[in-house]
Amino acid sequence: MSYGRIENHPILGPLPETRRVCFLFDGRPIEAREGESIAAALLANGIRTLRAHEEQGTPRGIYCNIGHCMECRITIEGVSGFRACLSLASDGLDVCSGIVLPTPFQPAKLREGDAYE
Amino acid sequence: MGNTPFIVCRCEEVTLEQIIEVIERYHCSSRETKLRTRAGMGICGGRTCRPLIDRLTGQMDAEKAAYSLPLKVQPPVRPISFGEWGRGS
Repeated sequence: MSYGRIENHPILGPLPETRRVCFLFDGRPIEAREGESIAAALLANGIRTLRAHEEQGTPRGIYCNIGHCMECRITIEGVSGFRACLSLASDGLDVCSGIVLPTPFQPAKLREGDAYE
Repeated sequence: MGNTPFIVCRCEEVTLEQIIEVIERYHCSSRETKLRTRAGMGICGGRTCRPLIDRLTGQMDAEKAAYSLPLKVQPPVRPISFGEWGRGS
Protein backbone atom coordinates (compact mmCIF):
# COMPACT_ATOMS: atom_id res chain seq x y z
CA MET A 1 0.00 0.00 0.00
CA SER A 2 1.60 3.28 -1.02
CA TYR A 3 1.34 6.20 1.33
CA GLY A 4 1.98 9.86 0.64
CA ARG A 5 -0.44 12.70 0.01
CA ILE A 6 -3.26 13.27 -2.44
CA GLU A 7 -1.30 15.68 -4.64
CA ASN A 8 -4.15 16.27 -7.06
CA HIS A 9 -7.65 15.95 -5.64
CA PRO A 10 -10.41 15.52 -8.27
CA ILE A 11 -12.57 18.12 -6.54
CA LEU A 12 -10.23 20.21 -4.36
CA GLY A 13 -7.63 20.42 -7.13
CA PRO A 14 -3.83 20.43 -6.67
CA LEU A 15 -2.27 20.76 -3.21
CA PRO A 16 -1.23 24.42 -2.61
CA GLU A 17 2.54 24.84 -2.29
CA THR A 18 3.58 25.34 1.37
CA ARG A 19 6.77 25.46 3.38
CA ARG A 20 8.27 22.14 4.41
CA VAL A 21 8.89 21.52 8.12
CA CYS A 22 10.86 18.70 9.69
CA PHE A 23 10.26 17.08 13.09
CA LEU A 24 11.58 14.03 14.89
CA PHE A 25 9.45 10.97 15.55
CA ASP A 26 11.25 8.60 17.93
CA GLY A 27 14.49 10.16 16.69
CA ARG A 28 13.69 9.71 13.02
CA PRO A 29 13.39 12.92 10.95
CA ILE A 30 9.98 13.30 9.30
CA GLU A 31 9.28 15.86 6.58
CA ALA A 32 5.87 17.46 6.72
CA ARG A 33 3.94 20.32 5.14
CA GLU A 34 3.36 23.35 7.32
CA GLY A 35 -0.13 23.29 8.88
CA GLU A 36 -0.34 19.50 8.59
CA SER A 37 -1.25 17.45 11.64
CA ILE A 38 1.44 15.18 13.04
CA ALA A 39 -0.78 12.15 12.39
CA ALA A 40 -1.18 13.13 8.72
CA ALA A 41 2.52 13.80 8.29
CA LEU A 42 3.43 10.43 9.81
CA LEU A 43 0.84 8.66 7.67
CA ALA A 44 2.24 10.35 4.57
CA ASN A 45 5.64 8.98 5.55
CA GLY A 46 4.24 5.48 5.93
CA ILE A 47 4.10 5.42 9.75
CA ARG A 48 0.73 4.23 11.04
CA THR A 49 1.71 2.99 14.50
CA LEU A 50 1.66 5.99 16.83
CA ARG A 51 1.74 4.09 20.10
CA ALA A 52 1.51 0.64 21.66
CA HIS A 53 -1.36 -0.17 24.03
CA GLU A 54 -0.11 0.65 27.51
CA GLU A 55 -0.68 -2.90 28.77
CA GLN A 56 -1.03 -5.41 25.95
CA GLY A 57 1.33 -3.57 23.58
CA THR A 58 -1.03 -3.81 20.62
CA PRO A 59 -0.01 -1.28 17.91
CA ARG A 60 -2.42 1.66 17.82
CA GLY A 61 -2.78 4.60 15.46
CA ILE A 62 -5.28 7.03 14.00
CA TYR A 63 -8.91 6.05 14.60
CA CYS A 64 -11.35 8.97 14.62
CA ASN A 65 -8.79 11.58 13.46
CA ILE A 66 -10.98 14.38 14.89
CA GLY A 67 -9.70 14.45 18.47
CA HIS A 68 -12.47 12.36 20.02
CA CYS A 69 -11.12 8.86 20.65
CA MET A 70 -7.64 9.57 22.10
CA GLU A 71 -6.16 6.61 20.20
CA CYS A 72 -3.46 8.78 18.56
CA ARG A 73 -2.07 10.22 21.82
CA ILE A 74 1.67 10.89 21.66
CA THR A 75 4.33 12.69 23.70
CA ILE A 76 5.57 16.04 22.37
CA GLU A 77 8.74 17.54 23.87
CA GLY A 78 8.42 15.19 26.84
CA VAL A 79 4.82 16.19 27.62
CA SER A 80 2.37 13.32 27.13
CA GLY A 81 -1.31 13.43 26.26
CA PHE A 82 -1.15 15.30 22.97
CA ARG A 83 -3.42 14.06 20.19
CA ALA A 84 -1.44 13.60 17.00
CA CYS A 85 -4.52 14.20 14.87
CA LEU A 86 -4.96 17.70 16.31
CA SER A 87 -1.36 18.79 16.96
CA LEU A 88 0.24 20.61 14.05
CA ALA A 89 3.68 19.59 12.84
CA SER A 90 6.27 22.30 13.30
CA ASP A 91 10.03 22.57 12.86
CA GLY A 92 12.30 20.73 15.27
CA LEU A 93 9.47 19.13 17.28
CA ASP A 94 10.53 16.07 19.28
CA VAL A 95 7.67 13.58 19.11
CA CYS A 96 7.75 10.22 20.91
CA SER A 97 5.33 7.34 20.45
CA GLY A 98 3.48 5.64 23.31
CA ILE A 99 5.14 2.59 24.90
CA VAL A 100 3.98 -0.31 27.06
CA LEU A 101 3.85 0.80 30.69
CA PRO A 102 4.79 -1.43 33.65
CA THR A 103 1.83 -2.88 35.56
CA PRO A 104 3.47 -3.69 38.91
CA PHE A 105 0.28 -4.39 40.88
CA GLN A 106 -1.35 -6.81 38.45
CA PRO A 107 -0.80 -10.51 39.24
CA ALA A 108 0.82 -12.29 36.28
CA LYS A 109 -2.32 -14.32 35.47
CA LEU A 110 -4.09 -11.17 34.42
CA ARG A 111 -1.65 -10.66 31.60
CA GLU A 112 -3.87 -12.48 29.08
CA GLY A 113 -6.81 -10.24 29.96
CA ASP A 114 -8.62 -12.56 32.33
CA ALA A 115 -11.48 -10.94 34.27
CA TYR A 116 -10.73 -9.92 37.86
CA GLU A 117 -11.67 -12.65 40.35
CA MET B 1 -15.18 -12.47 11.49
CA GLY B 2 -13.11 -15.61 12.18
CA ASN B 3 -11.76 -16.09 15.65
CA THR B 4 -10.38 -12.59 16.13
CA PRO B 5 -11.58 -11.31 19.51
CA PHE B 6 -14.32 -8.68 19.29
CA ILE B 7 -13.04 -5.65 21.25
CA VAL B 8 -15.81 -3.70 22.99
CA CYS B 9 -13.69 -1.33 25.04
CA ARG B 10 -10.89 -0.01 22.86
CA CYS B 11 -9.05 1.96 25.53
CA GLU B 12 -8.73 -0.93 27.99
CA GLU B 13 -8.83 -3.69 25.36
CA VAL B 14 -11.70 -5.64 26.89
CA THR B 15 -13.26 -8.12 24.50
CA LEU B 16 -16.92 -9.06 24.13
CA GLU B 17 -16.16 -12.62 25.29
CA GLN B 18 -14.62 -11.35 28.53
CA ILE B 19 -17.59 -9.11 29.29
CA ILE B 20 -20.16 -11.81 28.54
CA GLU B 21 -18.24 -14.32 30.64
CA VAL B 22 -18.10 -11.93 33.61
CA ILE B 23 -21.81 -11.08 33.32
CA GLU B 24 -22.76 -14.76 33.16
CA ARG B 25 -20.50 -15.80 36.02
CA TYR B 26 -21.36 -12.97 38.44
CA HIS B 27 -24.82 -11.86 37.13
CA CYS B 28 -23.63 -8.31 37.55
CA SER B 29 -25.16 -4.93 36.73
CA SER B 30 -23.42 -2.63 34.25
CA ARG B 31 -21.57 -0.81 37.07
CA GLU B 32 -20.30 -4.10 38.43
CA THR B 33 -19.27 -5.24 34.95
CA LYS B 34 -17.30 -2.03 34.56
CA LEU B 35 -15.59 -2.57 37.91
CA ARG B 36 -14.76 -6.17 37.16
CA THR B 37 -13.51 -5.82 33.61
CA ARG B 38 -12.35 -2.15 33.50
CA ALA B 39 -14.41 -1.72 30.33
CA GLY B 40 -15.49 1.92 30.35
CA MET B 41 -12.65 3.13 32.55
CA GLY B 42 -10.37 4.10 29.70
CA ILE B 43 -9.05 7.51 28.71
CA CYS B 44 -12.01 8.21 26.40
CA GLY B 45 -14.24 8.18 29.49
CA GLY B 46 -16.41 5.30 28.32
CA ARG B 47 -17.65 7.29 25.32
CA THR B 48 -17.52 4.24 23.07
CA CYS B 49 -18.37 1.26 25.21
CA ARG B 50 -20.64 2.72 27.91
CA PRO B 51 -23.85 2.21 25.90
CA LEU B 52 -22.67 -1.23 24.79
CA ILE B 53 -22.12 -2.39 28.36
CA ASP B 54 -25.51 -1.03 29.44
CA ARG B 55 -27.17 -2.90 26.59
CA LEU B 56 -25.21 -6.11 27.23
CA THR B 57 -26.10 -6.21 30.93
CA GLY B 58 -29.67 -5.22 30.09
CA GLN B 59 -30.06 -8.17 27.68
CA MET B 60 -28.40 -10.71 29.93
CA ASP B 61 -30.17 -9.80 33.17
CA ALA B 62 -33.38 -8.08 32.15
CA GLU B 63 -35.10 -8.18 35.52
CA LYS B 64 -31.99 -7.03 37.43
CA ALA B 65 -31.28 -4.27 34.91
CA ALA B 66 -34.73 -2.84 35.59
CA TYR B 67 -33.72 -1.39 38.93
CA SER B 68 -29.94 -1.00 38.52
CA LEU B 69 -28.45 2.37 37.56
CA PRO B 70 -26.95 2.75 34.06
CA LEU B 71 -23.31 3.83 33.74
CA LYS B 72 -22.63 7.53 34.34
CA VAL B 73 -21.17 9.69 31.53
CA GLN B 74 -17.78 10.62 32.95
CA PRO B 75 -16.74 14.28 32.84
CA PRO B 76 -14.57 15.95 31.62
CA VAL B 77 -15.68 15.72 28.01
CA ARG B 78 -11.96 15.43 26.98
CA PRO B 79 -9.07 14.31 29.21
CA ILE B 80 -7.26 17.28 30.72
CA SER B 81 -3.99 17.35 32.65
CA PHE B 82 -3.95 18.68 36.21
CA GLY B 83 -1.51 21.30 34.93
CA GLU B 84 -3.99 22.75 32.49
CA TRP B 85 -6.83 22.30 34.99
CA GLY B 86 -5.07 24.23 37.72
CA ARG B 87 -3.85 26.97 35.46
CA GLY B 88 -7.47 28.04 34.76
CA SER B 89 -8.14 29.39 38.27
